[in-house]
Amino acid sequence: MPPKKPQNEKFGHKIKELREAKKKTDPAFSLRGFAKAVGVSPTFLSQVENNESTPPSAENIIKMAELLGCDADELLALAGRFDPALQQIITQKPRAMADLLRTAHEVGATEEQLQRVMEQLRRKENKD
Amino acid sequence: MKVDYLSPGKIEGAALTLLAEYQRKFPSATLLPVPVDDIVDCHLELDFGFANLIGELGVPDVLGALWMNERKVQIDQSLDPTNFPAQEGRYHFTVAHECGHWILHRRYFLDKAAQPSLFGGEAEPSIVCRSSQKKKPVEWQADTFASYLLMPKEQVFAVWQEKHGSLEPYYAAEEIAGLTARWSVADGSIPTVRVAKEMAQIFKVSGQAMQIRLNSLGLIQTSNEQSILV
Repeated sequence: MPPKKPQNEKFGHKIKELREAKKKTDPAFSLRGFAKAVGVSPTFLSQVENNESTPPSAENIIKMAELLGCDADELLALAGRFDPALQQIITQKPRAMADLLRTAHEVGATEEQLQRVMEQLRRKENKD
Repeated sequence: MKVDYLSPGKIEGAALTLLAEYQRKFPSATLLPVPVDDIVDCHLELDFGFANLIGELGVPDVLGALWMNERKVQIDQSLDPTNFPAQEGRYHFTVAHECGHWILHRRYFLDKAAQPSLFGGEAEPSIVCRSSQKKKPVEWQADTFASYLLMPKEQVFAVWQEKHGSLEPYYAAEEIAGLTARWSVADGSIPTVRVAKEMAQIFKVSGQAMQIRLNSLGLIQTSNEQSILV
């Protein structure tokens, strides 16, 4: 058999691992059942899980995360894709959002620091 | 590959045991049509998937392949029932056939070390199933298992009774003669009659597989057809 091309290997492995854990107690998570629920063909899902195809669209990855009960952002990151909603958010306030992200990146903000900023923003919103 | 003789009764017992195990594990699962891919995937927990086997194995008419030591079953992507709905019957039969090899024949492989590829890649498949394969005992046993698994006797009788109001057989010789004359059917092959096609829709198998099963159960009577499964 010819060697397979690596394509976002971690994404395929993660989906397979999560689906295989679920299928032990629920046949809806069989390859065919899960593919149908996501809206892709079993051949495509099989190729993705076995690292033989590029990951599905962001919309399908979000659907997979919902069905598997895991974090959509984590799966999107593994697949090298972005939530299309994020693009829309940035487009609405392009300069401010881009500045915010660049600044956070430049100062090397940690996840805890970003969490604190978000909490402050939420508190302000509740007061308003 | 040489295998020990297995009687049809023993093969049927193995298929019905597997169905009962699946039902015990997933009591709410529907068994008509028999969810054979779920049985392989979720109950036997084999690594089940689709691949371009024709390209990867270089075998033009490959339908499925089984890697015993890796617990892996792959079906050729040309049988994917989502992409090719007309292939659904053939797909189910191929999965059930591979399942038959796993249940009946894995003991011949599991004791032995996996055979690695000559080029250091993946191991070669233990069994490669092709559409043109001459039916050796190992393939006949897997086919027989597939037939019993997908079309269990009790279910076939129940559906027949519901559709026809009795278990009286259908005498098909006249319809077969008419179809043979109209479609110039090849020598030795028997056209599929309407009742078999209708039942095949329910069991999600090919009309031909359904007809062979109905014939073996005495529900279709033909004058010139030989029963394959007793």
